[in-house]
Amino acid sequence: MVPTLTTSTSSQGHKEEAEVHRVLLGKKQILVTEDEPLLPQLERAGVLVEYQCREGYCSSCMIKLLWGKVSYPVEPLAWVHSGYLLTCCAIVKSDIEIALLG
Amino acid sequence: MSYSTFNRKKFDSLQQPMFFGENVNVARYDQQKYPIFEKLIEKQLSFFWRPEEVDLSNDRKDFVKLEEHEQHIFLSNLKYQTLLDSVQGRSPNVALLPIVSLPELETWIETWSFSETIHSRSYTHIIRNIVNDPTKVFDDIIVNDEIAKRAVSVSKYYDDLIELVSLYNTMGLGVHHVPEHGDITVSMKALKKALYLTVASVNVLEAIRFYVSFACSFAFAERTLMEGNAKIIKLIARDEALHLNGTQHMLNLMTSGRDDPEMAVIAQECKQDVIDIFVEAAQQEKEWAQYLFKDGSMIGLNAQILGQYVEYITNVRMQTVGLEPYFSTKNNPIPWINAWLVSDNVQVAPQEAEISSYLVGQIDNDLDGADFDDFDL
Repeated sequence: MVPTLTTSTSSQGHKEEAEVHRVLLGKKQILVTEDEPLLPQLERAGVLVEYQCREGYCSSCMIKLLWGKVSYPVEPLAWVHSGYLLTCCAIVKSDIEIALLG
Repeated sequence: MSYSTFNRKKFDSLQQPMFFGENVNVARYDQQKYPIFEKLIEKQLSFFWRPEEVDLSNDRKDFVKLEEHEQHIFLSNLKYQTLLDSVQGRSPNVALLPIVSLPELETWIETWSFSETIHSRSYTHIIRNIVNDPTKVFDDIIVNDEIAKRAVSVSKYYDDLIELVSLYNTMGLGVHHVPEHGDITVSMKALKKALYLTVASVNVLEAIRFYVSFACSFAFAERTLMEGNAKIIKLIARDEALHLNGTQHMLNLMTSGRDDPEMAVIAQECKQDVIDIFVEAAQQEKEWAQYLFKDGSMIGLNAQILGQYVEYITNVRMQTVGLEPYFSTKNNPIPWINAWLVSDNVQVAPQEAEISSYLVGQIDNDLDGADFDDFDL
């Protein structure tokens, strides 16, 4: 009764080079992949972003999306206004420019 | 227009606005106008916790050793939180259930309010565990001037709405004379305006008012003091973030006009009132920080830093409901607080938790390396 999956999408996806996009933030430029949401990648780049729940319901990590494309693998519970994104769950899909709130 | 606990009319609940449509009849969730509210219910239920799961015996020892001004900070925050959750444990039900028109929203309101009653019970649990005479702490809530000021601000919009709705339900629309209150005009516009301001005020309550207390609790825990309390506050903060999501959705749906076009007009007219509610709350929180630290600060926190944090968080919250930030503060002066507020490492089940002091009473929490000296594999 062991399912014979493998070989299909997951392993193929792994072989492909992860796509890299540029994130512009003021004068900074950060390279990110589509492998994980924006928040941990910004944190590793030393950008302090507000956060709380890290799972899309508290809105604390909301920032401005000036241009470019992001997507949400799971629709977040928080209300996302147009022109904004939730860093904790948004996957960057193109080069983008962002601005922190404040 | 009197309220009915089971509206006998047949109507399509998908065509109802959130509030001031038909009274809800069948509590059904097979079809939903706004599925977000059921998602919030599910999330809230998955968060369920009981105060008694958190062991506070170490907190009692810590509390006795705190300096007097630190005890003042700790107890004052608990009193203020007790006030806030006393209001929140009943008011969404009393004010909003008589006027709600969607089953999923009705159930969200009840689930939300219920979770606030757990918070209230947790304050009793904490106070009972750290002081010999809890009565003194609770009795002061009603006579303490600093708390009384805030009680007015957090309850007045609820009270106005409740008065208008009860007049509407008994007398209908029109001008009614109420002894000691004078002539009160009950119009749909007045009702909707009172509702909008109430939701805005509750949004601010959950967005800003708890956070000065939260910061103090976590500042104690950073010094490995009052860690059981911090564990409880973490659970409360997780719930509050979800409640905030609920009021943000209500406000954004109202403002967009998608739900009720007249609400969009009212939202536009009340924009300055909402900004004022945010600013008044921020001001009161800053004054609260002054009161907390009147006899001395604590390591890592003082009234000025907390004031900046209040301004920063107010800016963030204003933007989530489509307003421009009000204060000039651009940065979080206490970024370490986020590591405490993050909920992904909150575990309620005793065997899963990482902070030792949360364990239930029968387990020894005081372990050190030497305890394993006679342990062989």
